[in-house]
Amino acid sequence: MQAYLYLLRLDMEQLARSWLVRIWILLLVGPAGFFVVVAANQRELASETLAAYVAAVLAPFSWLVVAVLSAGAVNGEADVIADSILSRSVTRRAYIWSKFTARVGVFLAVYAAVTVPLVYLVLRFAVNDAAIGGVVWGLLTVASLLVFLAAFGIALSAIFRNMLTSVLTVLVATVASGAVLQFLAVDWMSTTGVVSGLPETFRGESSVAEQLRVLAVFGVLSVIATAAGMVWFRRKDL
Amino acid sequence: MKLAPASLRRSLRAIRDGESANGGQAQAAPAVAADAPGRRAGPAYVIEARDLTKIYDKRYIALNALNMRVRKNAVYGLVGPNGAGKSTAFRLMLGLQRPTAGEIRVLGRPMRAESAELRRRIGFLPTAPAFPRHMTPISYLEFVGRIVGLPSDRAKIRMTTLLQSVDLSDAASQRIEGFSTGMATRLGIAAALMNDPELLVLDEPTYGLDPPGRRQMIELIRELSGRDRTIIIATHILNDVERVCTDVGVIAQGRLIYDGPMTEMRRLARQNSITVEIEGNVASFERQISELDEPGSVRWERVGSEIRITFLGIGAVTEYLKRLLELVEGSGVELLRLDTGSHEVEEAFLRRLEEDRSRGLLRAQDWTAGGGARQADPEEATREDGPRSGAA
Repeated sequence: MQAYLYLLRLDMEQLARSWLVRIWILLLVGPAGFFVVVAANQRELASETLAAYVAAVLAPFSWLVVAVLSAGAVNGEADVIADSILSRSVTRRAYIWSKFTARVGVFLAVYAAVTVPLVYLVLRFAVNDAAIGGVVWGLLTVASLLVFLAAFGIALSAIFRNMLTSVLTVLVATVASGAVLQFLAVDWMSTTGVVSGLPETFRGESSVAEQLRVLAVFGVLSVIATAAGMVWFRRKDL
Repeated sequence: MKLAPASLRRSLRAIRDGESANGGQAQAAPAVAADAPGRRAGPAYVIEARDLTKIYDKRYIALNALNMRVRKNAVYGLVGPNGAGKSTAFRLMLGLQRPTAGEIRVLGRPMRAESAELRRRIGFLPTAPAFPRHMTPISYLEFVGRIVGLPSDRAKIRMTTLLQSVDLSDAASQRIEGFSTGMATRLGIAAALMNDPELLVLDEPTYGLDPPGRRQMIELIRELSGRDRTIIIATHILNDVERVCTDVGVIAQGRLIYDGPMTEMRRLARQNSITVEIEGNVASFERQISELDEPGSVRWERVGSEIRITFLGIGAVTEYLKRLLELVEGSGVELLRLDTGSHEVEEAFLRRLEEDRSRGLLRAQDWTAGGGARQADPEEATREDGPRSGAA
């Protein structure tokens, strides 16, 4: 447990120092301010403003940053893992679990730090057509997408030795899955499907069952990705 | 590089005795060995590998049914050419890789990926160690101290002591990413000693060090040996092994082709071989070399300014030496240097490799006929002073 906590702290410190994380925050905060100003001046609908922010800013930038940071989490420090961490009294479970929790924790913290004030300001200054429950559901749904993307990326970083391969696989898989799911007529499971349905969700017009279905699917997929990554990593040669 | 073996010895003693190395004042904290699982009587062999095999991607055989045993408190040198399987053997010893077949036991217990408790008793120095680049020596050693379960205050004492001992005090707050290979190796040594290990595994410990640094590292290993600690060193520099090791294993193509005491290796190597460096009438001297023994019993070769004479007869080396000195006197040359076998271990090592290569086919036949490799002779394995395995 002690090793896990130290590894968790180490990884969080590493992320806090990461330029990519700092740039990500700037890329989210700057446009968020712009959206608030425009929505206030133009008397835009709050639900549409929030959905537009997620679709145009949060989703694409987060998709890129989370894919890079999660898909390079393990293979990006392969030599350090063997020489300096797992050759000491650290279990593989503690190491990989610390990676999952640190990365997911930091991603969610950044997401919450940006979206919660944004939601408050948009609801305050734009035309408030959103329902609080709907906003909460919408934000939770987007959070579940982020968690899945992070879990998927970390699992691939434990599987692939090459960081570029795992990052590209995450990016290509998420794009390709949208097309495949649409073809299979289950596009509510795709990220694009979820994002395009956000205005209704924010207004509270989506049914709870639909929302639960999305959360459950991405929750299960995240658990599967996490378990697969852990099992693979525990058997991996370093 | 400036390692300070004497200082390190004092520091380690201080740590063991629960004293601060800086001031020598008594500490309330108990000795290091006391907070780690205590030194146990344990098994006679610290490392036991049985038919240890590692095949990468079903393509490359790194270890080929390796059988190896390392005695408790020995300084064991694992020597072999690059790519022989030394580092793979170490990675299996630490549970960083899983054997394809066979078994490895470390400190009497099977080593697995999740054997964190077992690794708590081991210190490891990899070749050109990689560290988290954003960390400083202080933060890294503190991190190592905490993950091996040392309380914060004790970890700090030990950290400062070790940093001082490996002469990294001045660089203690620098980021590791700017470190030279030698500095990284020194930090690796400090990290390997944080837990006062029972077993110290050093993979190419002199890698990247300048000649004085190399000498000091050898001295350091000497200082660390004994004291209820087993050290295993992988290297391809035979001089290093000869200077510090009590036991030696020669590995080639993933197989241990010799495993036994260093003294036995020297005995196996010994030939009646004398190297001289002379000046003067060298041609006359060379003409008379073959008369030193029965016709056909003397072989000689000239390597640069040296003449290497090998006596194939059964006489004692002292007798041959006497005759040689008479020849030196008689032929009017001046003797600059005389050596009776400083390269013997290197030769033994090379001879072992050569024998192993020439016996490859025969061994393969043995394998198919006998259903397994005969790498270690059980009778030889139990002999106290003899080699535990070998191709001879």
